[in-house]
Amino acid sequence: MPRPVIASRVHRGRRAVTRAPWGLVCMGILVMGLLAGCAPQDESIPQSSEVPGVSPGEILLGSSLALQGHASFLGTQTLSGAMCYLQHVNAQGGVHGRRIRVIANDDSYDPPVCLANTQRLIIDDQVFALFCYVGTPTTVRILPLIDEARIPLLGMFTGANALREPFHRYLINVRASYYQETRAAVRHLVNDLGLRKIAVFYQYDAYGFDGLTGTELALRELELSPVAAGSYNRGTLDVQEGLARIRASGAEAVVMIGTYDPCARFIRLARVAGYRPVFYLVSFVGADELARRLECCPDMSVIMSQVVPPPEEHEASELLEGPIGYLTLLERYYPEDLPSFVGLEGYINARVLVEGLQRAGPGLTREGFVDAIESMGNFALGQDLTITFSPSDHQGMDRVYFTRLVDGRFAMIRDWSVIRRQLQAAR
Amino acid sequence: MVRALQQAMYKPFRGVSLKNKIFFSILVVILIISAAIAFLARWILVSSLISELELRGIAIARTIAERGSSYILDGNYPELLSLIFDEAKLKERQHLVSYIFISDRDEQVISHTLTRRFPEALRLANRVGPGESKSVRLCTLDDRRAYDIAIPITQGIYRIGTVHVGLNKNHIDQLIAKLRSTFLGFISLIIVIIFVISLRLAKYITMPISKLTRISDELSKGNFDIQLDQVQATAAGGTLECPALADADFPCRYLDAEGRPTGIAGAPPAGGEACRECPFFRHQKGDEVAQLADSFYNMIWSIRLYRRRLNESEEKYRSLFDHGPDPIFVLGEPDLTILDANPRALEVYGFGKAELIGKPFRELAPDQRPPEAAEGGPPAGRLMDNPRALHFKRGHKPFYVNLHASGITYKGRPAIIVATTDITEMIEKDAQLIQASKMKSLGEMSAGIAHELNQPLNAIKMGSDYLGLMVEKGREIPREHLHQVVAEMGTQVERAAEIITTLRAFGRKADLALERVRLDKPIQAVYSLVRRQFELDNIHIELQLAPGLPPVMAHDNRLQQVFFNLVANARDAIGEKRERLPEAPAGRIVIRTGQRNDLVVAEVQDDGIGIAEGVRDKIFEPFFSTKESSHDMGLGLAITYGIVKDCGGQIHIDSREGEGTTFRLSFTAAA
Repeated sequence: MPRPVIASRVHRGRRAVTRAPWGLVCMGILVMGLLAGCAPQDESIPQSSEVPGVSPGEILLGSSLALQGHASFLGTQTLSGAMCYLQHVNAQGGVHGRRIRVIANDDSYDPPVCLANTQRLIIDDQVFALFCYVGTPTTVRILPLIDEARIPLLGMFTGANALREPFHRYLINVRASYYQETRAAVRHLVNDLGLRKIAVFYQYDAYGFDGLTGTELALRELELSPVAAGSYNRGTLDVQEGLARIRASGAEAVVMIGTYDPCARFIRLARVAGYRPVFYLVSFVGADELARRLECCPDMSVIMSQVVPPPEEHEASELLEGPIGYLTLLERYYPEDLPSFVGLEGYINARVLVEGLQRAGPGLTREGFVDAIESMGNFALGQDLTITFSPSDHQGMDRVYFTRLVDGRFAMIRDWSVIRRQLQAAR
Repeated sequence: MVRALQQAMYKPFRGVSLKNKIFFSILVVILIISAAIAFLARWILVSSLISELELRGIAIARTIAERGSSYILDGNYPELLSLIFDEAKLKERQHLVSYIFISDRDEQVISHTLTRRFPEALRLANRVGPGESKSVRLCTLDDRRAYDIAIPITQGIYRIGTVHVGLNKNHIDQLIAKLRSTFLGFISLIIVIIFVISLRLAKYITMPISKLTRISDELSKGNFDIQLDQVQATAAGGTLECPALADADFPCRYLDAEGRPTGIAGAPPAGGEACRECPFFRHQKGDEVAQLADSFYNMIWSIRLYRRRLNESEEKYRSLFDHGPDPIFVLGEPDLTILDANPRALEVYGFGKAELIGKPFRELAPDQRPPEAAEGGPPAGRLMDNPRALHFKRGHKPFYVNLHASGITYKGRPAIIVATTDITEMIEKDAQLIQASKMKSLGEMSAGIAHELNQPLNAIKMGSDYLGLMVEKGREIPREHLHQVVAEMGTQVERAAEIITTLRAFGRKADLALERVRLDKPIQAVYSLVRRQFELDNIHIELQLAPGLPPVMAHDNRLQQVFFNLVANARDAIGEKRERLPEAPAGRIVIRTGQRNDLVVAEVQDDGIGIAEGVRDKIFEPFFSTKESSHDMGLGLAITYGIVKDCGGQIHIDSREGEGTTFRLSFTAAA
């Protein structure tokens, strides 16, 4: 590149010539010029001014859950638990003058159907938000839709880690996760009951894998690992192979991540075979349905974790029996239904939903709703039961309660040493 | 034509330093190459990336077409939806795939991955023609663009539907942009590295040159004591001494190599052997730059040695000049201003140096003629002698010098160096000698002079006797007799007085300064003194004086002595001839004057014995005499010669043995 000629001769102009930082400048300009054509373009989705599913008199919510088939108990109970409170709210005049209507579609615990239902809810029904989904594989399946449509989903009857990590702005969990449940359970099994040989029996899908992973992580913290793992396919009762493998390992405890039918069958078959370890089941199994199916075998040690307070817990009394308590409202609107842990969870979800809508105010938008949920700090449901959300925490409760099958129903465990003594005596 | 063009091209770069030329040449070449590589590679990468992504889209569509056909036939749309969602949203693929939709054989959409109503425009935007296995087209979905890849779903030979995979063009563009910026970053890095390397390289090449330039500048300013480099100082612990530097006569084999002059002073190798190993002159191995540095280093060392020798020589000659016993001047040409003078000159002439420098030399030497007028040879080595020049000291005090001048080159210009020798004392001695010789001549002449004086005295005696007799006898003196006697007596007294005046003038000590003299005058004076006496000896002097001759610069008194000596010499020669050759005629002296060109010539010719060939060039030497009589000291002709020379004249002898001699004096006519 020619430099301007300086009139002086070289020996005089030496100082002027030696350092030429403008060479760097030239090159910098060149490089920047080449890069300028490559700036990434802004990718933004145009936000329609009209909020879907919100009309002056109504807020439309969508739900896809198992209302038929092998998991129908979970779906119907969740829905009735939630709906009894929503009906109460509607009867009181709704939220900011809007009644809450829920379109509930059956997916029979089948992920593709759940996906199709959800797409239809979003596109055709134009719902404001999704509410009360049941099951891990189904809910995990619709995550891409939620991300793309930016539609809030509140109250999932699943503790799947995939709904919690990575963080999704539009996913609002209420209950504790399976990781938290299995972690607490494994600690009790190992520390309180002195069991070290622990096997895992899981449903061969996203739900079962999540529970398996949670158990393995909890065991690894105690420098243990599952002695055996057995599985079954969703919707089937083929548990014999898993049972054989777990029994062969001589496991002292079995962590079960499945639905009530296969789990109950597993326990019954184990009893028939004379294999009596401690069975631990996560909350999703459905305590009441399971208890009904295990009436034949009261002598088995079955422990189950709950993420909502059991009736014996004194803090649950207001939640259950208060004027707007679960039991009161269920009795009022669904007198034919029996109360259950699953229904209670649905009820709590509905409480959180209504509180969020309330806080979002009359100008309801999806973003405003999420912000309102995130503003809930120490939202009291009962005397000591509070729910807390924050912009970085979309899980309202962290508590895990343990119950034990005694006399056909699950009762709160108050003293683990009692169980330990009984176990020692049985041997 | 071509050359002119080239020159025109190079002209703007003339002022650019070598370093920058090297640096920018490398940089420009690298930039051009980099740009070429960048564009080529970008084109290859971008095109292959796009085709690769298209292939991925096609693969996704094929998978869906394969797996989805049974769902379409069964009408199991949730599974189909699940399938396309799986394919579309699988991990990272969701960024690439912007949508997937499946249409049935009637082009109605039965499944799609959008979360809003399916845009009608997209449905038929990219149709696969019958018999085509795929179709790729750039479509617009809302305001975003996507490559729509359509693959037919077939069962047997019939088409039961079409799967469309939309590849996000923004995402592809971003990938390309990322690729491009990565690549450009890499190229930039290389350019920066090359930049640094070329900068270093250019510096490495030009740094020694810059250093040499700096040293040269220092040398130009006359600073020879610059540190050449640290090697010199550190070698041998800093006590390194070059014998040639300490002793200018010490032979240095580099400096005094064959074919070169041996040092400034031309001194022979005095210190014995030259150094075996020279620690100063270097010939290291290295590239051209190092060799240039060595050569330069050696050159500086040579200059230093030469300078040292030059200084020594200069000192030597300066001391000759400063402490020379005689005054020395350096005069500029052609106006003869004094450019330099040594301390002796200041002392002798009584001027301060400042006064003297720039003063015209003529103020010191009014008679000095410019050398051009005297001689016309080449300036260098030209000689000019000026004996007995009259110079003036401070206060206009005259004194005599012998002056020698020769042309030199002083400070690059022609000049004259003049050396003078104070000869005043010598001249005074000469004058005394001449005086003594004159007195002796007077003695010799005394008989003749006495005789000459006797004649008027006798005449006066006779006159007074006659008058006395007449008074004694009481006789009346006739009036005309009385007047005749008295007039005769007066004439005789005047004649005696004239003789005495001439005699006195002869004996007078001459002035040192030259005067204008007509040659007749001293000749007449001598003639009047010696004529009578010579006639007694039967020798006749004949005068042949040319009228109206120009005067010459000489002393009248001394010229009298010259002519006296010459006629005296002629008389002796005649006497000698009379003795040896009694029958030959002798006794005639001719004194002749005349003019030849600008010379005034006087000849003294005799018909005496003549001068032998062998002694002719010796007769002017002092104390040389051919005369056997011991009364002659042999100084006469020597004094004659000295006087003539002092007056700037020449003396020439023309002699034939036995027949006579002619002395010819020639003087330059006075202006």
